[in-house]
Amino acid sequence: MTGIFVYSDQVSLACELAGFGKSAGAETHVVTTDEAAATELKSCGADVVHVLRGGDNPPPEAFAGAIAELLKGAAAELFLVGATVRGRELAASVAGLLDWGMASDVSGLSYSGGTLAIERLVYGGAVVQRETLPAPAVATVPAGLCEPANGSATVEIADVVPDSRVQVVGTEPIVRQGTSLAEAERIVSVGMGFNQREDLSLAEDLAAALGAEVGCSRGVAEEREWLPADRYIGISGLSVKPQLYLAVGLSGQVQHVVGIRETKVVVAVNKDEKAPIFKVCDYGIVGDLYTVLPQLTQAFN
Amino acid sequence: MQNTVACYKWVADEADIRVHPDLSVDLSRAAGRISEYDKHAIELAVQLAGNSGGQAVGLTFGAEPVRKSLKDALSRGLDEALWIKAPEQATVDAVVTARALAAGVKSLDGVGVIVCAEGSGDSYARQTAPRLAALLGLPVVTSVCEATFVDGVLRATRRLEDSLETVAVALPVVVAVLPQINRPAIPGLKAVMAAGRKPVTEKTAEELGVDLAPKSEITSMKGFAQARKNVLVESVADLVAALKKEGIV
Repeated sequence: MTGIFVYSDQVSLACELAGFGKSAGAETHVVTTDEAAATELKSCGADVVHVLRGGDNPPPEAFAGAIAELLKGAAAELFLVGATVRGRELAASVAGLLDWGMASDVSGLSYSGGTLAIERLVYGGAVVQRETLPAPAVATVPAGLCEPANGSATVEIADVVPDSRVQVVGTEPIVRQGTSLAEAERIVSVGMGFNQREDLSLAEDLAAALGAEVGCSRGVAEEREWLPADRYIGISGLSVKPQLYLAVGLSGQVQHVVGIRETKVVVAVNKDEKAPIFKVCDYGIVGDLYTVLPQLTQAFN
Repeated sequence: MQNTVACYKWVADEADIRVHPDLSVDLSRAAGRISEYDKHAIELAVQLAGNSGGQAVGLTFGAEPVRKSLKDALSRGLDEALWIKAPEQATVDAVVTARALAAGVKSLDGVGVIVCAEGSGDSYARQTAPRLAALLGLPVVTSVCEATFVDGVLRATRRLEDSLETVAVALPVVVAVLPQINRPAIPGLKAVMAAGRKPVTEKTAEELGVDLAPKSEITSMKGFAQARKNVLVESVADLVAALKKEGIV
């Protein structure tokens, strides 16, 4: 086997993965379905950039079959894919077509002696699991784990036939209100401890006093539909990294707190002293949010 | 008429996971349950089968404890269940699971839509739907937050990082759905009673010729340590003072 192949629909992430290939001392190949991206991809540490083109501007996932053929023909040892929505589907499709093992959304990885060793979070982030996979194998890797490198690659263009069964018929941007929660410095996050929707104004008032954004648990967004789905934090929602995360009436299930692990200071307000949030907070107040929130708002105003 | 299949997984309830002070993980006291995300897949499969006059089949793979899931799954509106039984102590990964589910789907007739959740409650690896599609030679659509089926064509809205993408694909198809897709109904007493009378088919992985050799090995599990201060303060004034000291406000 020879060569680490990488792909991402985000160019910067593809460059990071190419950097990993180079640091692992392997011949590194970047695959792209976007001819225009080849110029940038040429100079981030890879030896070869493979441009796959064909069809009438199909989505990248349509190239899973062609990529599987390329990997098989080249006897690739690893296929590293950027962990985006498109990347995850494409990676698992390729793994399925080739009957290779795959590690999803790794939080750490190393490769030596034909074995991929990874670390990933399971059970909603409560548990760190280590796995080994013999090459050939696939892994999806989020941004920020690997460093891009420098170099100059040759570009090989191949005309292939993408899968045309799934047709894109429309696309619209997701319009988010307010500042992106993912970038917010301070977040007031609401849980199921609020009795009614109108009462969220208590959290909004506090957020205004703190210059914070309002986030929530999955239940508030999806069961009660009090806030839009793009406001909920947790394993199937957003990950945030504020300086201050103020969890109000929020029990702190593992699926939620996995999304706040990069927070500097976590504060919890909950009337149930046994709520799990008190085990993962820096400062907690056991008390009724209907009393505590107005006091906090007043203190910060 | 199109039959639908809902794939679901019996998982350990993460609320029961104990992490000891040395960070070792104890799953022995964790009760099993149908992965929360899979309840959305079941709901969609039931709804689609109802619309097209087909049957909705629940499909699961696992060893003996999975038996407990069948009645719960059937009470959610499925017409029948197919359980691919894994040998006791078998170590399975996403590769083996997809092989078993693919063998299960192949044993069924007239399947138009196979619904999976985007990920499972334990591993959330998001591999099953694309792998299953690859093994069955079918198209796949993942990250689906809206789905309608008209005249044998699925129209699905996919949630990407910054956009919503609408796709169209002819059946048969494998879809992976997000929790936003629907709100699973809580089964009533009548549905629970009826579940006991619905047909369940049990097949062993061996009799379906499923290759049970995994491709990945779990070498360790450790509790995730979130280093936090865990200080309980008595008053709002104390909290504000602490945050000032931290330089946060």
